Amino acid sequence: MKTIVCGADTLVRETLEARAGRASAGAIFAVIIGSFKVIVATLREIFDESAYQRFLDRSRLESSPHAYAIFQQETEQAKSQRPRCC
Amino acid sequence: MPKFLRVFFWIAVSLLGALALATIALHRGEQINALWLVVAAVSTYAVGYRFYSSFISAKVLALDPLRATPAERLDNGRDFVPTNKWVVFGHHFAAIAGPGPLVGPVLAAQFGYLPGTLWIIAGAVLGGCVQDFVILLFSVRRDGKSLTEMAKSEIGPLGGVVAYVAVLSIIIILLGATALIVVNALKSSPWGTFTIAMTMPIAVLMGVYLRRIRPGKVLETSVLGFVLVLAAIFGGRWVSETPSWAAIFTLTAPTLAILIIVYGFAASSLPVWLLLAPRDYLSTFVKLGTISLLAVGIVALRPSLHMPPLTRFADGSGPVFAGTIFPFAFITIACGAVSGFHSLISSGTTPKLIRHEPETRFVGYGGMLAESMVAIMAMIAASVLQPGVYFAINSPAGIVGQAPEAAVTTIGSWGFPVTAAQMASLAHSVGEQTLFNRTGGAPAFAVGMAQIFSNTLGGQAVMALWYHFAIMFEALFILTILDAGTRVGRFMLQDALGHIWKPLGRTSWYPSILFTSAVIVAAWGNFLWQGIKDPLGGINSLWPLFGICNQLLATVALCVATTIIVKMGCAKTGRVKMGRVRYVLVTLVPLCGLVVVTFTASWHKILDPNPRIGFLAHARQLAAAGANPRLIFNDRLDAAVTGVLVVMVAMILIESSLECMRVISGRKSAAVKESPFVMTKLAMEEQA
Repeated sequence: MKTIVCGADTLVRETLEARAGRASAGAIFAVIIGSFKVIVATLREIFDESAYQRFLDRSRLESSPHAYAIFQQETEQAKSQRPRCC
Repeated sequence: MPKFLRVFFWIAVSLLGALALATIALHRGEQINALWLVVAAVSTYAVGYRFYSSFISAKVLALDPLRATPAERLDNGRDFVPTNKWVVFGHHFAAIAGPGPLVGPVLAAQFGYLPGTLWIIAGAVLGGCVQDFVILLFSVRRDGKSLTEMAKSEIGPLGGVVAYVAVLSIIIILLGATALIVVNALKSSPWGTFTIAMTMPIAVLMGVYLRRIRPGKVLETSVLGFVLVLAAIFGGRWVSETPSWAAIFTLTAPTLAILIIVYGFAASSLPVWLLLAPRDYLSTFVKLGTISLLAVGIVALRPSLHMPPLTRFADGSGPVFAGTIFPFAFITIACGAVSGFHSLISSGTTPKLIRHEPETRFVGYGGMLAESMVAIMAMIAASVLQPGVYFAINSPAGIVGQAPEAAVTTIGSWGFPVTAAQMASLAHSVGEQTLFNRTGGAPAFAVGMAQIFSNTLGGQAVMALWYHFAIMFEALFILTILDAGTRVGRFMLQDALGHIWKPLGRTSWYPSILFTSAVIVAAWGNFLWQGIKDPLGGINSLWPLFGICNQLLATVALCVATTIIVKMGCAKTGRVKMGRVRYVLVTLVPLCGLVVVTFTASWHKILDPNPRIGFLAHARQLAAAGANPRLIFNDRLDAAVTGVLVVMVAMILIESSLECMRVISGRKSAAVKESPFVMTKLAMEEQA
């Protein structure tokens, strides 16, 4: 009986530890995924991919060479006037 | 985290920082590990960010999380877009990080690693970060207004004019100085020249690919471009080893200068999508990757610094540039400590992306801390070199002599032994014919970086590839600034000329484009030409001139910030609250420091009797020797440019002081020209 209780205790403990382990692994995984998403979002913003997507959404156009040409024309002036630091 | 643990943590960080600073400041006679510099910087930045920026946010600026930013109020999906703070941080950092924080510390290493490192750390925490932060916040509260517009509205029309002239001058001198760095890095280097030449067809190919084949896939296109650039670096080795091809790509400094001037003009006049945009993407891609790689390399290798903490050149007789530590170390290192140019970015694109007002602290203050860390890495890259090697690379022929034997004898007499055979072996290992007299900082930085990279990955066998990768990275970076800067200068000029004759202000009118591009290219081309003809190597004159301009612009920015803070202190009661006056010190102290530094440096550069320092003394020396009148004119021009800028900044200082006194004495209303308060909806939506 004692063994069974001990076994049950162990089982419960193991289950809790496994859950805690899964929870912490899950949290770490979520942090990694979150960081990766932020890095991708940052790169998309720096490289104007997000700006192009916003342009497509705003003007209700499908991505195409023509749409991209219009986007570039629209952003050319702003881009040209943006200083690059020393 | 419980409070006692937090207190314990910050005490530990502070003590660690103090220990690291004491180690780098007091260690004498033995080499120290580069990690001490990293620990000193990171600990100080952490404490500065946690406490000082928090104080500025809460007490001085009173950041308001309930106030809607222009990104929220004016959201148009184009210029004004509420953006995640990490994304804005990355965007802001990519915009402020240029060659300045890499080149400045390399040049200032002639004093030893200590003065530059201390200035980078202290200057950033107390000056540069504060400037970037407050200007960003003030621009956010004024619908993303530029520095020039804020100067005009808060100080007066004179403020706007001075800011405009300072910005245009700094752009022109910056372009001349950085173009000279490229010329010095590529002259007589077929490998480097070939690699950089190939980046132009690669950029055009990227432009066509992006426009016709995969519209909008910029990241994919940049990776493709990067692979092609790496192939060009490998191809460069073959070119340098094939005599017929090597002869084509072995160019002299004047030839390279002419090619760069032609390139600048063409890039300014061509459509953006064809050359400028893809090069910009490629450059940013390489820049972010290389800086990350350098950080990893330094931490992984933990190199020892061979440069002493202080050299004999603290007395002002340095071969890289002449002048004593004060004020010249402070103007040589601008971008890593305090850079006026950053105020243009902080009042440009960034304020239009900020989602919540409190995020200006993270983006403005934090972004500058990251930039300052880049400067620390550059200082490490220069200081891992043997001092003799460092001075052999960075000293102009006019100081150490043209022949290798003469150069090593002179450098050895300074107490930094180096042999001609050692330099020949080093040049061979990096795939160059010679490394003597390669002034400008870029080659020295590339050699240091190549040593760190090759010791971390690949060993000596790949040292040449790493060296040319570093040269490509710097030159690509600088050429991007050249074409973007020429365009910005052209737009500014068109804007001003439009007031005189309207058609000249039309940015799409081709004759105006050609005319204004030619004027801007001629202006910086003149400085470049002057640099390559200068017997002292050009950098001796141009880099301090650029540093003075940059710090004068920072003076203007801090002047605007101080005026606004004074008005904020008096705004509610109409009378100054003495308790709030002390908050002005946050910007007033760095402002006073910069005024003392820039005005002293300007005085030396114009009037110092030493011909290596003073422009006019050098002109007199040349005249007495019957030198080319053009050289004499160049010195007088440099003196005049410095003088005009100093007078203009002095005028804005007086104007700003008078404005502050009028407000403090109650003779003028203390109304700040902020956009009206609107309650944010974004914060509530996000909470919900």
